[in-house]
Amino acid sequence: MMASGKQWLIRYRYWWLVLGITVLLPLMMRSGTLATEVLIYAMAAMACNLLLGYTGLLSFGQGIFFGLGSYAVGLALTRFGGLPMPVALLGAAVTGALAAGLVGWFSIRQRGTYFVMLTLAFAQMFYFIAYTAPGLTGGDNGLLDIPRPSIAIGGHALIDLTSSWGFYGFVAVLFLIVFALVLRVTESVLGRTLLAIRDNEERALAVGYNVRAFKLLAFVISGAVTGLAGALHAMLTGIAPLANIDYHASEMILIMTVIGGTSNIFASVLGAAFYVLLADWLSTLWPRWLMLLGFLLIAVSLFMQRGLWGLGASVATRLRGVRSAAATQEERA
Amino acid sequence: MTTPILEATGVVKQYGKFMALGGVDLRVMPGTIHSVIGPNGAGKTTLFHMLTGTRPVSAGRIVFEGKDVTAESDYQRVQRGIARSFQVTSLFPNLSVRENLRLAALGTSPRRAMSGWRLPTGELACTEVVDQVLDRLELSHVANAAAGVLSHGQQRRLEVGMALAARPRAVFLDEPTSGMGVDDLGAMKRLIRGLVQDHTVVLIEHNMDIVMDISDTITVMQQGKVLMEGAPAHVRGDPRVRAAYLGNMITGGKA
Repeated sequence: MMASGKQWLIRYRYWWLVLGITVLLPLMMRSGTLATEVLIYAMAAMACNLLLGYTGLLSFGQGIFFGLGSYAVGLALTRFGGLPMPVALLGAAVTGALAAGLVGWFSIRQRGTYFVMLTLAFAQMFYFIAYTAPGLTGGDNGLLDIPRPSIAIGGHALIDLTSSWGFYGFVAVLFLIVFALVLRVTESVLGRTLLAIRDNEERALAVGYNVRAFKLLAFVISGAVTGLAGALHAMLTGIAPLANIDYHASEMILIMTVIGGTSNIFASVLGAAFYVLLADWLSTLWPRWLMLLGFLLIAVSLFMQRGLWGLGASVATRLRGVRSAAATQEERA
Repeated sequence: MTTPILEATGVVKQYGKFMALGGVDLRVMPGTIHSVIGPNGAGKTTLFHMLTGTRPVSAGRIVFEGKDVTAESDYQRVQRGIARSFQVTSLFPNLSVRENLRLAALGTSPRRAMSGWRLPTGELACTEVVDQVLDRLELSHVANAAAGVLSHGQQRRLEVGMALAARPRAVFLDEPTSGMGVDDLGAMKRLIRGLVQDHTVVLIEHNMDIVMDISDTITVMQQGKVLMEGAPAHVRGDPRVRAAYLGNMITGGKA
């Protein structure tokens, strides 16, 4: 049975929206670097949302996976004779997944406040490990001169990634694939079970689910995606700085996720785009722009807890309400 | 004499210095409704927590269908055929009634729920079991409503349904009628009585009308111990039970 065109549009609505954003960004923006940054943080935010929105886990560990992804790709491309880039990116994702497995394995033993404190403790620990291991991480300076090798088959360079828009295209393709995969996870039996765990952990246990195993799996997936995002960020800027594994990286990813809204993963893309673009704009206006961001976060927490997505959705509902009210008025007249 | 489906021996539960259960023995026969009654604080719910694995025992042994399950936790015992409802309604309030039951049905093969690729359609929708349970609960008409918006009586029925969807061999119902209005009691009584065709039922219940009417065996608990056990008529006439209840609660039901 063929689905009609409209059903197709609705069934894949988030995917169409994301495709629209990746096409629109180059048309509307002058800086390829900034556009790429939007997509990279969108990946990190949707991975965060898988934990926060779908599993109910507020993790301050996202910066760990982001930073380790940066280091992993930096090391893979600058040492070991420079591994092929796909291998380096895969390595970064695996590194993120492994770190998330470790952090998750310990943290999910606790719930609520203690879970949050454990992820925070790990974030601090990994930061200082990175700081005190300059041989691997470059310490305070970070790993420098990370290249952006061209995509080549058999020695023939196919796509050049050195230009900022060339790299954008490459990241956009990866982003679309990752988005489709994460979206699938959220709609799968796994995603639905995670939602149940978020709703009522006791009940999930009582009907037969090993809640810890499910949370760990969510952590590992989130870590892999965040690691990949960190790797792409390092390739974008050419460095893997200490800042990428800092607690502030976790904080920033969390803020993007919360601003976007946690009801679906497209909201995280919105949140990341909003944050990155707003930060870029505000920082040209006022060096103390982070303060304005603070006000924004207060406003979101107080008045629009469903985030930008929720705001958009309620505006749409109201418009539709006005329109249908107008329609009934006409009918009456 | 048939062997019991569940046999608990010397079950002790201590919370710090407080002895919630002081060595309880319980034998539940297959295909029966076995009620556990007793005044508030007698340890009925604690005993349920021990039997279903919601909390670990401090001492004692629990054997289900010949297997020692004492060390297993609740989600593992579900795979053995044990399922429970809670005294305080415990549902997935933001998910639909159908989704609540689907999750409960798939809980017996939880590994299949670990796929991040397969959608909850086809076999994983568990349509047959879910529809059966919906029908039994008389909740088919609200299948797509969020569990959180149901009336209290409907939520209590769904709470029982969460246990049934696992198609357990023994179902543990912790005060299924708690907080229910008189109008809903009849439906719940019918529901529980119907369960025994397919399941062994272990029931905690305060409503003596229901307990006396549908139980095969009644265990009376007091202060963390078993006071006595027997058929309804026997329990009703026992002076110790009357004393434990101060003589004012065992009134309903036919003799």
